[in-house]
Formats: sequence, structure tokens, C-alpha cells
Amino acid sequence: MNKELEHSFVELLEKHQNIVHKVCRLYTNNQDAHNDLFQEITIQLWKAYPKFRGDAKFSTWMYRVGLNTAITLYRKSKRRISTQDYEDVQFKIKAEEYDDTEEQQLKLLYKAVHQLNDIEKALVFLYLEDKNYKEISETLGISEVNARVKMNRVKTKLKTILNP
Amino acid sequence: MDELELLKKDWQKQGDKFPKLSHSELYGMLLKKSSSIVKWIFIISLLEFVFWTILSISLKGTESMARFDAYGADAIFIGLSVVSYIILGYFFYRFYMNYKNISATDDVRSLMKNILRTRKTVKQYVGFNLIFLFISTFTILGIQFNKDEQMLSVIEQASANGELFKFYATTILATLLVLGIAIGLILLLYYLIYGILLKRLNKNYNELKKLEV
Repeated sequence: MNKELEHSFVELLEKHQNIVHKVCRLYTNNQDAHNDLFQEITIQLWKAYPKFRGDAKFSTWMYRVGLNTAITLYRKSKRRISTQDYEDVQFKIKAEEYDDTEEQQLKLLYKAVHQLNDIEKALVFLYLEDKNYKEISETLGISEVNARVKMNRVKTKLKTILNP
Repeated sequence: MDELELLKKDWQKQGDKFPKLSHSELYGMLLKKSSSIVKWIFIISLLEFVFWTILSISLKGTESMARFDAYGADAIFIGLSVVSYIILGYFFYRFYMNYKNISATDDVRSLMKNILRTRKTVKQYVGFNLIFLFISTFTILGIQFNKDEQMLSVIEQASANGELFKFYATTILATLLVLGIAIGLILLLYYLIYGILLKRLNKNYNELKKLEV
């Protein structure tokens, strides 16, 4: 691989790295696992980069490779250094927006999402990223109708988890 | 407000909370090694090829193989070898094509399908080896019954004692038993290796497949 390709890839990745972070945020529970998955997604993106054609948006392409890695390719590392779970450290909402009930609710929501299975998480992730059903169905390889049906089921499931 | 809408609102703000990795940190990651499932399946498949190939080569140099030379059944041994090498070549080709078709840029379902296809090839390859092991063992046993001098004298003695059937039955059953145990152990090993490796993938694939019903 030539230097130019490496440079252009890293530049694009640097710009869009939040997408990778977000995938890791949803599929892992602590910082070590987050870093491991981030690493693997980066490697997979780099391996696939020569095949990336400019006709798709780099970010759209990243969603696909990122989710593929999280759901299918990634082997969880046996190394489990116990670090603080996300649930305890995140959700620092800015002072002016501070709302205790809302913060509590969000905390529960994130916990509920973490209880979903890998496919359901992918649906939620794409939904949160404001993707339409066409994009969701194309990314997962299922029909648009099925994506809608499944999304509704996920919403119901989340409600059940939140209000048992 | 809908729960997911509330989550979405917060999710959009998540970006500011993540650490910004620098150009050089990201560049460093490119040099690291992948530990993806595809890589592991590939390594295990290669080990399988090496294992079966070494097994067949190492058998060729043994004393018992030298005894087989004396049977004058070269045509059968050569025939078996040719068949095994043709099939080995076919599996190599299938393996190569399977790995070539695995792409992280496919949609999630196609990617899973392609990986599971690789697994299927591995299964077929293992199946082929076990069947081949079975056929070879009994072919050799058949030849021994007819050509091995030691065996022939034992058969003669058994025949004189009126225990010919007992002798054949015991020998065949004992061979079947040893072979059965060996095959069982090999299958158990595969089951454990691939079972652990593909547990999550199978679960997720079934989850997606359920959606299509």
C-alpha cells in the first residue's frame, strides 16, 4: 500500500472517527473493550479501503464496515481488565440542560439498549444516526418492510425492559 | 416523548464526549494485527490442511507401509492417492474462492452468509477426510486379509479351528471400534473449536434469518 493511500485514509478516518466511536459505544461496556473494537474496525476499514469507490459516501461506507466488524468479524478479547463501566461515567449533561428525571431516564435507556441483541442494536444504532429504512435495510441485508417491522418490535422490547 | 426520540437527542450530542484520536494514533492502528473471526477460521483451516497432509506423508515412511509394498497392490494405493490429491486440490480452490469473497463492505447478512459458506467447506473437507480414512482403513484391511503372510497364517489357523467367522468378525469389529473412537474424537474437537468460534455469528445470523420468515 502506498503512502498516499495511507495518508488519505487516515485523514478521512480522523474526520469521521466519531462513527467508529459510536459503534464501539453501543457494542461494548467499558473503555478497554471500546479500544479493542475501535482498533479492529480501523484495521477492517483499512483492509477494505482499496475497494472503496468515491461513489458512496465515506461515512456511509464506514457504517457498514463498522457494524460488520462489531456484529460479525470481531472476536472479543479474552483480556478483561476491569475498568469502570460506561453506565457510571457517562451521561454528563451540561449544567444548563440539567434535568434529573431526564438524566435518569437516559441512563435507563442506555442500559436497556445494551440488553438488546447485536442485530437489534444495529437497528437502534442506524435509527439514532437518523438513517432511513432504505439505508437500514441495505446495510443489514434485509428487506425494508422487515426492517420496519423489526424496528417496531425493538421499540416495544425497549418499553418492556423499561417498564417491566 | 417517545423513548427512542429522547435517546436520539442525547445520541447526537455524544460526539463531543469521545476522545479525538490524532493522525499518528490512527496511523499506528493500521500497523496492528487483526484478530477477526475470518482470520481465525483461515488459520484453523490451514492447520487442518497441514495436519492431514503431514499425517498422510508420515504414514508413507513407516514400517507398515513398507509391508504394504510387499502386497503388490500398488494400483490400489496409487489410485487412492490420486483421488485424495484431486479432492485436496478442489478443496484448496474452494477455500481460496471463499476467502476471496469475504468482504467487510458487503451488507451484514451477505457477509455472514459468506463466512458460514467457508465453514461449510471446512465441514465438507473434514467429512471427506473422515470418509477417506474409513475407506482406506477397510481397503487396507481387505488387502491384508488376502495378501499379508502373517495374516494368512492366522486365517489358516482360525479356519483349521473352525473359528473363521469369529476371527473375521472380531477383526472387523475391533477396527470399527478404533476407527469410531478416532472419528468421534476428531469430530468432538471440531465441534468445540468451531462451536466456540462461531457461536455469536450463528446466533446473529439466525436472528437475521428469522426476520425473513
